[in-house]
Amino acid sequence: MTVLRWLRSGRVLAGLLAVALVLALAVLAPAIAPHDPEAQDLTMTLQPAHLGSAYPLGTDALGRCVLSRLLFGARLALSVAIPGALGAMLLGAALAYAAGYLGGRTDRLIGRAVDAVTLFPPLILILILVFALGAGPTNLVLAIVLVDWTRFCRVLRHEVRVVVQRDHVAAARLLGFSHIRTLAIEVVPATLPLLVTLLALEMGIAVVVEAIVSFLGLGVQPDQAAWGQMIADGRTALHQAPANLLAPAAAILVTVAGFNLLGDGLGRKLAARLVEDRA
Amino acid sequence: MARLAPCGRRLLAIAQRLLAIAQRLLTVLLLLFIVLRVLPADPAAPAAEIGATRQQTSLDEALPMQFAIWLGWLVQGDLGHSSHLDRPVAGLLAEALPATVELAILASSVAVLLGVAGGLVLFALQWGGWQGAGGRGTGGRGTGRRGETRAALAETGTMLLMSIPAFLWALLFILVFGVLLAAMPFTGRLDPGLSRPFITGFLLLDTLLVGDPRAFLSAARHMVLPAVALGIGFAPLVMRVLRASLIEAYQADYILQARLRGLSEEQVLLRHALGHAALPTLGLLRAQCGLLLGAAVLVEVIFAYPGMGRLLVDAMRNTDLSVIQGVVLAYCAVVLSANVLIDGLHLLLNPRPRAR
Repeated sequence: MTVLRWLRSGRVLAGLLAVALVLALAVLAPAIAPHDPEAQDLTMTLQPAHLGSAYPLGTDALGRCVLSRLLFGARLALSVAIPGALGAMLLGAALAYAAGYLGGRTDRLIGRAVDAVTLFPPLILILILVFALGAGPTNLVLAIVLVDWTRFCRVLRHEVRVVVQRDHVAAARLLGFSHIRTLAIEVVPATLPLLVTLLALEMGIAVVVEAIVSFLGLGVQPDQAAWGQMIADGRTALHQAPANLLAPAAAILVTVAGFNLLGDGLGRKLAARLVEDRA
Repeated sequence: MARLAPCGRRLLAIAQRLLAIAQRLLTVLLLLFIVLRVLPADPAAPAAEIGATRQQTSLDEALPMQFAIWLGWLVQGDLGHSSHLDRPVAGLLAEALPATVELAILASSVAVLLGVAGGLVLFALQWGGWQGAGGRGTGGRGTGRRGETRAALAETGTMLLMSIPAFLWALLFILVFGVLLAAMPFTGRLDPGLSRPFITGFLLLDTLLVGDPRAFLSAARHMVLPAVALGIGFAPLVMRVLRASLIEAYQADYILQARLRGLSEEQVLLRHALGHAALPTLGLLRAQCGLLLGAAVLVEVIFAYPGMGRLLVDAMRNTDLSVIQGVVLAYCAVVLSANVLIDGLHLLLNPRPRAR
């Protein structure tokens, strides 16, 4: 049905493939990684990439396998991005439905909360939240949820206001549907495509946030494999082992581009469908 | 007399806005207080060895009292004292804030310039030149299948460009222009040996004010890579907004009217269609301001650029609470000022709310 139609879009398909690839590598990392990502081999530091060797992508300054760290880095990136984006979506969507459906004081109050949070540059607020809560993936997820719910809330609230005005919602109310049932049956499905699009884009954003936080060394333990940390370390050994920097940079690009293509493609399909519906 | 009435109404509107700004500032302070003082188990813990910290930051009082004391200090212009750098936070900000604003303004200019150029190219690609643009009602005579494919390709391209975060652009530029070509400086703000004038804090302006062309050129060269790295990621957004408003503009009656008056296509574009895109672009800058400042943090760190982002990151590494508070507050003040400024510009450029 709709999902199959979405798949016919080149963008959606390409995005889905990229995301599925990264996800598969992340899930299979313990099985396919040639080395322990934290194991140091101080006799083999800063080896350049050489496909046939024991270290296909070379080693870093502590003699750790770049390929293994790349795979485990994918695990960390997605284990931050997926729950972070989902959590932000749940919180933002719940508040957006409440604001858009109930209107009045609830709407004003939630609007004010969104306003207050968005006066902070999002990344700055995430950084100080991580600082306050302490490092670690769980706190990073929490920080992303507490900041990025506003992205969902703002856009979705507007959409909910539009949907609520439609006749079928009024009809449901006249038929005696409760508020919850009206929301669940008449309002939420109409906004679902938008929600899916925003979710895909947010996952891309969260991947970048995780990279930035771990680049700064504020997010995770120094030993843990993270793309941002690999890039930060790779800068110092650009001449001996360029793969140390290029591999995680490419990984971020593929993942973010995948999520963006997916979100953008879904959004476009959604827009096209809305036009069809109106005609 | 009749002219005074709208003027008075505007004053009232301005007063209302100021009140709303004060309210938002207070919310920001409260949020910041909660994040930095209430969330951590013991905010002074890492700095406990510095005996005075607890007393200095009034951490022994009850929370609402602490907030009130902090507000009192802020009103007096006291942002606290950096425990790590042993300098007043206000002094640190006086240097770092203009540097970050300078970078953000230059990066936005880069984004708008690249975005407008790119948007025009994208638009021209899709419509095959201006002449075909905006066949009214029919969705445009100029669009053929080829135009659509080209536009779709170009858009996917920009989409992929948008996926590159600013810090990767920064690293790429350092690699290509700094290391491989050795054409551009990529650390700090001035060549060694040049003295740094301090009048306004905006280095480009200050070097001009003291009349030191060598320092100005050096500062300008140091700005190129950071500003482009930061701005380039936002250019595709400008591009999309511009393209959408151009498409809308070419459907409007005033374009037809301008053509009927015998204006050339270039004149139609420059005088009428592009103006239509100014307001949405402003709106975009307003919405993206916070994101730009966030992306600037890592760009500053990578280019060793002495702005607020670097100050913040260093302060977090050293758990220098007063500096963190001060810097984040300054960030919010920048976002708020940018919002107010852009709203003002909006009001100047857009005749609709004024007519009411």
